[in-house]
Amino acid sequence: MKINLIYSLYVILAIALKDIRTSFTEQAFMITNIIIPVNFLLFFLLFALTGGQAPTAVVLEEHGPYAEQFVAAMMKSHSFIIHETTSIEAQNLMRQGQIVAIVTIPLNFDDALRKGHQVLLPVMINNLNVDFTDDIRRAVPLAITSFYEDTFPNQVVVRANEQDTNIHDTDYVQYLVVSLMVVSVMLGGMIQAGANAAREYEKLTIKELLLAPTSPWTIQIGKILGALVLNSFAVILVIIVIVVLIGIWPLHWDELIGFSLLLMITFAALGSFIGTMVRRRQAVIPLSIGLTIPVFFISGAFGPAIWGDKSIAIITQFQPVYYGIAIFQHAFHNFTTTSTGPTVDGVILVGFAVIMVLTSTIALGRSRNKGVMN
Amino acid sequence: MKDISDQHIKLGNDIDHLDEDHVAVSLCELTKRFGDFVAVNNLSLTIKSGEIFGLLGPNGSGKTTIVNMMSGLSKYTSGQVKIFGYNIERHNKVIHAILGIVPQETALYEELNAWTNMSLHAYLYGLARSEHTRLITDMLKLVQLYDRRYNRVSTFSGGMKRRLALARALLHDPRLLCLDEPTLGVDVQSRRAIWDYILDLKKRNKTVILTTNYLEEANMLCDRIAIIDHGKLVALDTPISLKQKHGDTIIEIETITPVSSIVLAQLRGLKSITEVTQNRSILRVVLSGDLSVTGKIVTIVTQETNIKTISQREPNLEEIFLDLTGGALRD
Repeated sequence: MKINLIYSLYVILAIALKDIRTSFTEQAFMITNIIIPVNFLLFFLLFALTGGQAPTAVVLEEHGPYAEQFVAAMMKSHSFIIHETTSIEAQNLMRQGQIVAIVTIPLNFDDALRKGHQVLLPVMINNLNVDFTDDIRRAVPLAITSFYEDTFPNQVVVRANEQDTNIHDTDYVQYLVVSLMVVSVMLGGMIQAGANAAREYEKLTIKELLLAPTSPWTIQIGKILGALVLNSFAVILVIIVIVVLIGIWPLHWDELIGFSLLLMITFAALGSFIGTMVRRRQAVIPLSIGLTIPVFFISGAFGPAIWGDKSIAIITQFQPVYYGIAIFQHAFHNFTTTSTGPTVDGVILVGFAVIMVLTSTIALGRSRNKGVMN
Repeated sequence: MKDISDQHIKLGNDIDHLDEDHVAVSLCELTKRFGDFVAVNNLSLTIKSGEIFGLLGPNGSGKTTIVNMMSGLSKYTSGQVKIFGYNIERHNKVIHAILGIVPQETALYEELNAWTNMSLHAYLYGLARSEHTRLITDMLKLVQLYDRRYNRVSTFSGGMKRRLALARALLHDPRLLCLDEPTLGVDVQSRRAIWDYILDLKKRNKTVILTTNYLEEANMLCDRIAIIDHGKLVALDTPISLKQKHGDTIIEIETITPVSSIVLAQLRGLKSITEVTQNRSILRVVLSGDLSVTGKIVTIVTQETNIKTISQREPNLEEIFLDLTGGALRD
C-alpha cells in the first residue's frame, strides 16, 4: 500500500514536471497562456472605466457662480465626461459623432435663479444608442437635484436618509476587478490544462502514459498539478496587477490563496476534460474563451447575481464561477453576495472541484478503453 | 472464416497444445468493428514465449489495431486477449508492466531530450530510483544514443527516434515487446541496426511481436509469420514453410525476343508447372516439385528464340503474399 502510494506520488510528480518542461519549450504558447488572462482583466477593466460615462459637451453661455456650481454638480454625478466648449465647437463635435449630448447653460441662468424663475436647460442628445440616451436622461435631472441640494438646501424638502451596510462604498471597478480575477483564473486554467491534454493526443504521446502500469487517476492528477503550477504564473501576475497597479488590497489573504488554488484545480480539471475530448490545441483556446465569456456575464460579475433576473440567478448557481466570484468578493471586500454565504459557497466549490477532477479522470479512462487512435 | 483461421493455426506449429507457460499471447476469436467496418475479423492465434512473431500485411490490413487491442489501447468488440495468461480487460496494469511497446509514431516527447524521455518512462514503470541512471545509461549506450542524451528528440533523425523508442520500451525489461512498423521510414543503416537489436532480444529470451509490411524484414527476423489481410488471418507459418507451400521454385528466362502464345501453351502443358507468365522478354515459370522438367522448358523455348539469361530461385514473401491475397501491397 505504502509502496503503491510512493510510486503513484512519483508518477504524479514526473508527469507534472514533464508537462511543465514541455510547456517551457513552447515559449510562444506559454507566453500566450500567461498573457490571455491578464489581457482579459485589463481590457475588461478598460471597457468598464470608459464605457460607463457619456462624453458630453457643456456650453457655458453664463459664467456666474450658479452656472459654475451646476457644472460641478454634473461632474459629481460620475455620468459625464465633460468637455467645456463653445456652441459652434459643440455642434462640430456632435456632427463628428464624438459626443453624446450638448448641455447648454443659458445666458440668463444665474439671474433667473436669483429671481426664482424657471430655467429651461437646452439638452441635445444623439439618441442613436438607447443606453447612452437613457444615461443622459437620468443624469441631467440627477445633476439638477444635486445642484439644488448643494446650492439651495432649504428648497429641497425630501431627502434620503441613507444607512450603509458597509463602512466604505465600493467602487464599480473595485467590485468588477475581483470578478474578473475569477474569470482570469478560469480562462488561464482551462487553456493551460486543455492545451497540455490535447497536445498528448495531437502528438500521440498519450500512448506512453496510457501504456504505463498506473491508474488514470495518477495520470490526471499529475496533469492537473502541472497545469496548476503553470497557471499560477498567470494568477500571480493577475494578483500583482490588482494589488499593486489597481490598488485593491484583499482583506482575507488566506481565503484568496486557498480558493485561488481550489479554482485553479477546478478549471485545470475542466480544461483537461475539454482537451481530452477535443484532442486539438487549436480547438481548446476558442472553446475556453467561448465558455468563459457568457459564464462571466451571468455569474454576478458586475453586482450580486441574485439582484438580477431570477431565471439567470437560478441557472448561474449550477456553475462554479458564481461561487468563485462570491468567495473572492468576500476575500477582497468582506462582502456576502450570495444567499448561501461564504462557508457554504466554499463547500460547494470543493464539490465542484471534486466533480471536475472525477469527470476529467473518467474521460481519460474512457479514452484508454475506447481506444487512443480509433 | 473461423474455420480457415483455425486451420492455419494448426498448419503452423501445433501450438494449441502448448503449456500455458509457453504461450506469450493468445488471441481468441478477436473482432474489432468501427461502425460497419470490420477492422479485425474473428482472429485467433497463439504466439509462443521467446519467439519473434511477424504480423505481415498491407497498410490498413488491421496489424496496428491488433497490437492496440493486445496492449489495451483499443477495446475489442468481441473475443479474448491473454498475455502470459493474463486477461487484458481484468489485468490491465499487470500486462502493461510486462509489455513494452514501440508505437508506429514512436510517441516520444520530441520537445524534451532523450534522457528526460527515458527518465519519465522509468518513473512511469516504477523502476527503483537508485537504478535509474545505470539503466538509462545502459539502454542509451545499447542503441548508441548516449552521446546525444541531452539533445532534444526533435533534432533526431527517423532512425534515431526509432532506436530511442526501442530503448525506452526495453527500459523496464518487458517480457513481451511489440514493435509496430519498427523500421518504417528509416535509412538502411538504421534498419540494419534495429534488426540487430531485435535479433539480440531473442537471445535474451524476449518475446517479440513486430508488425511490418516489409517482407524482407519479416523473412530476416521472424520465427513465424502471420499474414493478415482485411483483418483476417490468411496464413500462419515459418517463412521457410510458407515458401515451400506456396510455389516451390521459380525459373526466370530472359529471351532475345518474346515467345509466342503457342510456346506458352506448350509450357503450361508440362507436368509440374503451375504458372507461366511473360512480361516482354522475361518468361516466368513456377514449378511445383519436379525440377527435371527444367530441360524440357529450355528445349521448348529455344525452338523459337535464343536465351540470354536463365535463373532459378525460391519465391519471395511478396510473391507468396500476392498469391494469398490476390492483390498488390496497398497504401
